[in-house]
Amino acid sequence: MSGYGSLVWNGFRESRRNRVTLVVGFFAFGLVAASVLVTEVTVATFRRVLVDVGLGFMSLILVLLAIFLSSGLLAREIERRTIFLIVSKPISRSGFIFARFGGVLLTLVTLELVMAALLLVEVKAYGFQIDRSLLLACAMLILELLVTAALGFFFSSFLSVTLSAICTLGVYMAGQFGSDLYRLGSKLGPVGSALLRFTYYLLPNFERLNYRPFATYQALPPAATTLGSVAYALAYAMGLLVLASMLFERRDFK
Amino acid sequence: MTAAPIECRNLSKEYRLGFLMNRRVLALQELSLDVRPGEVYGLLGPNGAGKSTTIKILLDLVKPSSGTATLFGRVPGDRHGRRDVSFVPENPAPYEYLTGREFVTLAGRLSGVPSTEVARRVGEVLGAVEMQDAADLHIRRYSKGMVQRIVIAQALVHRPRLLILDEPTSGLDPLGRKLVRELILAERRAGTTILFCTHIIADVEAVCDRVGVLVAGRMRTEGSVSELLAQQKSSFEVVLEDFSIESVNALGLPVEDVDSLGGHTLVRVAEPELPHLLQQAIQRGARVRSVEPQRASLETLFVDTIQRASSKRRVGGEMVA
Repeated sequence: MSGYGSLVWNGFRESRRNRVTLVVGFFAFGLVAASVLVTEVTVATFRRVLVDVGLGFMSLILVLLAIFLSSGLLAREIERRTIFLIVSKPISRSGFIFARFGGVLLTLVTLELVMAALLLVEVKAYGFQIDRSLLLACAMLILELLVTAALGFFFSSFLSVTLSAICTLGVYMAGQFGSDLYRLGSKLGPVGSALLRFTYYLLPNFERLNYRPFATYQALPPAATTLGSVAYALAYAMGLLVLASMLFERRDFK
Repeated sequence: MTAAPIECRNLSKEYRLGFLMNRRVLALQELSLDVRPGEVYGLLGPNGAGKSTTIKILLDLVKPSSGTATLFGRVPGDRHGRRDVSFVPENPAPYEYLTGREFVTLAGRLSGVPSTEVARRVGEVLGAVEMQDAADLHIRRYSKGMVQRIVIAQALVHRPRLLILDEPTSGLDPLGRKLVRELILAERRAGTTILFCTHIIADVEAVCDRVGVLVAGRMRTEGSVSELLAQQKSSFEVVLEDFSIESVNALGLPVEDVDSLGGHTLVRVAEPELPHLLQQAIQRGARVRSVEPQRASLETLFVDTIQRASSKRRVGGEMVA
């Protein structure tokens, strides 16, 4: 395994052993498992409720975990001075950022796959079909986590642990209401409109990555829309990581 | 000709502090430093003298404000140049959820140890720092001394040609300090160049070939340990009975220090003044209890250098408007 590969694998190993990840993992697993209970108070549309609640729990827990793991990672390494031991090795700082990001992403994807498998088992156990819209929603959640974790890394490359977590959470929330901002802009004057449109394009558009409503209503969006969303998420995350690398390259570790 | 392990020319570093970044601290000023192949160079200085800043510039953790630094002829930003270098920072904090063995293995892989050799080499260095038995525990379970040993092991795993140690014995018990000294001496015998930063003088005297003293970001004195000790004036401590401090002062001789202890008067004088002191004190009724030559030590040199430093600030970098 190469040096960077080892850094990815050890990042995953660390997250797996971190008590917070373990507790959150068990909690999330319990919540997804408990989503069957919601069907008990449902008169009809069992499948819709099961899928909606299950995917909702998965998304909530995994996004919070993504913010926790990513926004604190770099800042914590700098504050504890662990970074001295690693970036003094013959590796590039940008390589370090991408490798540490890889470790976090590996943790999140592993958890997501386990939770998705549980949800699929539940859906099957209730005698419903596992359709492509459900699989697609699970896959798109990975992209949502990718962008959220990249946001956390970006802020973590120049802010403290707390500030980075607050900013990541804030931008994530704002990114959920991107189209509202855009619509609001059209009702304002030219300056306000330009400002809100700029903010709309600047913020990550998490609505584009939210395929949970499609899974709930068993609808499939056009392939072009999905491909556009995938490309958007990959480009946005890559842009954030490149920016984080540039900031990190110039930074003094006092 | 092989490039010098460390070469610094007119290296300066200015930090900007405060919310508006309007306070400037000169952490390092015009530092020039050469560390020759195979030598152990001790960089001494009080807290905030600029030792750690020098190291951080060499390892590309901090960018210099001006001047140049090279490691084996390559600039610190060249990551290939760091392949032959290893670092033990002050108060190190390795990944606490990894085991000691996993961390040293990670360091080996990051430093380019071939996959076929990593496990064997990790075993060797864990043995050298006497950590084989605890190697499979998580680092968060380690004591401070155990963490220090693991960090030294990760520094040695790829057989570096240059080892940079920042306070490597800080927080260690006497056995741990002895082990670190022995490891440094073993590395020196193996031909490794070592830059050793500390303010524990005894460690420097035990292992260093050459020493530089930094005060407030400037190099104040530099030379081999024997040269520096030879430069020091030899002095004597004379213990007198029935002779007060006032009587000593009344002699009008240039004494270095005078004090009273348990009814005796202790006088420290330079060698040329010793016969005059003894002669005049005896003539005035003093009884001489003892005359002890004072051993020249790096500690005296260190303290004298700090006291002689022209800067008003002896601790920390120099503040500028």
